[in-house]
Amino acid sequence: MMELEALQEVNSEVRALGARILAISPQLEKYGRTVHRKLNLAFDIVTDLHLKVAEQFGLVFVLPDYLRDLYAAFGSRLDAFHDESEYRLPMSARYIIDSGSVIRAADVNADYTIRPEPSDTVKLLRELTDSATRSR
Amino acid sequence: MATLKDRLDEFKRTFESGAPPYNAPREAIATMHRATDELKASGIENAVLKVGDRAPNFSLFNQDHAQVNSTDLLREGPLVVSFFRGHW
Repeated sequence: MMELEALQEVNSEVRALGARILAISPQLEKYGRTVHRKLNLAFDIVTDLHLKVAEQFGLVFVLPDYLRDLYAAFGSRLDAFHDESEYRLPMSARYIIDSGSVIRAADVNADYTIRPEPSDTVKLLRELTDSATRSR
Repeated sequence: MATLKDRLDEFKRTFESGAPPYNAPREAIATMHRATDELKASGIENAVLKVGDRAPNFSLFNQDHAQVNSTDLLREGPLVVSFFRGHW
């Protein structure tokens, strides 16, 4: 949520550079809709049901039993939120993909409390669009 | 404006202090750290798609149940794709 909020704050800069933000989560559409409305996001949240796309990026892991039990004790049920009976999750990650489908930035961390700065993403996008303009 | 890191660190400090509103028990925090440490040690970060790799195409539904196709979006320009797990 904090990351989505921070991305929303740079959304107009990203759009001005001709790029677009897309948030991907395994949570069911209705939960994505709730977050989207609550934060009043100007970019889409798409549902990666059963982590099909996250798998292709190599981001998926299985939540260990002891953590599953802990989350359940807190009332957080992944199987209900994600329709994910195997309790898998994606690592948090931010990618920049250029218009030729090539990955230009990849920030992945097994520690979900560490995220890249949105301002750094904007900087990288600016470099990317600058070099695209120069090579034209 | 505070950086994202500042905000995340602030949240973490509050959460891990065990104070309200979260009142997180010490054992719960230790368990969460253990899980993160184990995941990191598994080497999973080394096997993800990296700079220079080709991103897979995808087509998924957005919050309004409209189909979003990555190929269509990339035709207009670069994409910043943010994978998040749910709450965090």
